[in-house]
Amino acid sequence: MGRALPVILRQLGTALAVVLVVFVLVRTIPGDAIDVLGIEGDLTEEEMADRRSELGLDRPWLAQFRLWAGAALEGDLGLSLRFNRPVSEMLLYAAPSTLTLASLSLLLGVTLALVLAVGAAVFPSGILPGLVQAVNVWSIAVPTFVVGLASILVFSVWLGWLPVRGQMLSPVLILALDMAGQIAKPLHEELKEVAASPFIRTARAKGLGRLVIVLRHVLPNAAGVLASMTGLVLGGLVGGALTMEVLFGLPGLGTIAFQAIAGRDYPVVQAVIAVFAVGVIAANLAADLAHRWADPRVGRDGVG
Amino acid sequence: MPEAPGPGVAFALGHEVAGEDAPPRRAPDWLLLGAALLIALLLAAPLLLGADPLAQELGARNAPPSPDLWFGRDNLGRDVFARIVAGGRITLVIAAGAALLSLLLGAGLGLAALTLGPWAAGPVYALFDLVRAMPSILLALSLLVALGGGVGPVIVALGLSFAPMMALLARAAWLREREAGYVEAAIAAGGAPWIVLRRHVLPNVTGVLVTQMAIVLPRCVTSESVLSFLGLGVPPEVPTWGRMIAASLPFVERAPHAMAAPAIALGVLTLVLALAGDRLRKRLDPYRKGT
Repeated sequence: MGRALPVILRQLGTALAVVLVVFVLVRTIPGDAIDVLGIEGDLTEEEMADRRSELGLDRPWLAQFRLWAGAALEGDLGLSLRFNRPVSEMLLYAAPSTLTLASLSLLLGVTLALVLAVGAAVFPSGILPGLVQAVNVWSIAVPTFVVGLASILVFSVWLGWLPVRGQMLSPVLILALDMAGQIAKPLHEELKEVAASPFIRTARAKGLGRLVIVLRHVLPNAAGVLASMTGLVLGGLVGGALTMEVLFGLPGLGTIAFQAIAGRDYPVVQAVIAVFAVGVIAANLAADLAHRWADPRVGRDGVG
Repeated sequence: MPEAPGPGVAFALGHEVAGEDAPPRRAPDWLLLGAALLIALLLAAPLLLGADPLAQELGARNAPPSPDLWFGRDNLGRDVFARIVAGGRITLVIAAGAALLSLLLGAGLGLAALTLGPWAAGPVYALFDLVRAMPSILLALSLLVALGGGVGPVIVALGLSFAPMMALLARAAWLREREAGYVEAAIAAGGAPWIVLRRHVLPNVTGVLVTQMAIVLPRCVTSESVLSFLGLGVPPEVPTWGRMIAASLPFVERAPHAMAAPAIALGVLTLVLALAGDRLRKRLDPYRKGT
């Protein structure tokens, strides 16, 4: 694990930088949170100034960031201005929905990609290689947003099979298919490349079956590509999940984020974006470490 | 690998007699022609069409499509067809601006830093890595929250989120060109880095980067629509497909046409642009010939 330490440190640094950038961006919005409250609650200038110093909003950005980050590390993300509830409580309430959506899509997407790519490698003359290609073109040319709209129109309005709002079946299927399309093709190409190497010829020469060769000898050598591709598509998955939540009316972090942006609820905006940034970076780190574990060549001799 | 001579080569090799019509004939590329026609139509249609996308006919809210009004009216009694036509142009302009900005920012800055040397390329690419670490929709969201809405900020937000991709591509192309003998020769002959970049590297890298821009374009169209769907794009009074979808979503069961029309328009435009971009890449990218 010695080689993994710099990677972890670099990702931690990136996470910190992203959170800091978001913090500063939110601070540059003209009119701070207290202005919003002041207009709505008829506060006098003095009352507003009092609230500002109470919340530390009159201090320099860096001092504010230290204050906020220190509290955040202890799980305190501040109070929502709209609902006057702890932000962490709101996020904890909304997180299960988003986590379920994202993890189900991820699981289904990776499984689908594996089945398609391995199947195509085992039966190169069947329809599966074409299917890998088709799913890839689908994920490139048809955005999940459009598929989501089409699914609402067809399955909810026209056929009436699914409710318009509040169901998770279509978003999971849509996101999974999109991921599978992005992962299956590079994975299939890697499988083909590995399958062309001499040690596979040896395995075939000693009489192993095709499926055994692919599962025991080819797949482990292509696992690195699977891990790194999964890491690459994760950022897109998060964006897709956020959009799907709003489109299908799911009570998750995405919905909270957009309500907070519309209502200028800055502590919530900041916290949600920070949580997502850290989450994506953690997932990237996991994928990177998995890649290194699956393919020991990475990170040695300056490769990768 | 034997390279098939491109059209330029055939033109240069002894067709002096034939003159103008010498280039070898290719079957017309209907996909690319169709995409160009669609873009031209969307850009020109608001000028040709008289209908006002903002006029409200409150007595005819959610009126279904009819021979006079192809796509019917929306929840405020506005002509959906006129709004689609007006929104398409805005979306295209924003997407093109964002794709161009991502090219200039990502590839321009990246190549300049690479030419200056590792001391410049290191920090610049670290910055691009940082931007890439954030999901692009969150990046665009925080930027738009900070900059406020409007056409300019949307272009900046989208351009910035696609810039790291361009920068990585520029670096890959640049590294490939550096390996090429003529670049090494130009450097060995004492060519100043900037001259080498401009004379030798840039002409060979431009094709790859411009095709990449064609691939980014449909993604910018989708991203713009998603952003305005979420209420973060251009101002509310400007008709965009994303905003039309968001406004008609609550009424989708009563008036599906008001959501179906912009959704189909968005689907068709992104599909055509994506397929055309892919075709363009296959035709122009010198490293991908034959795939």
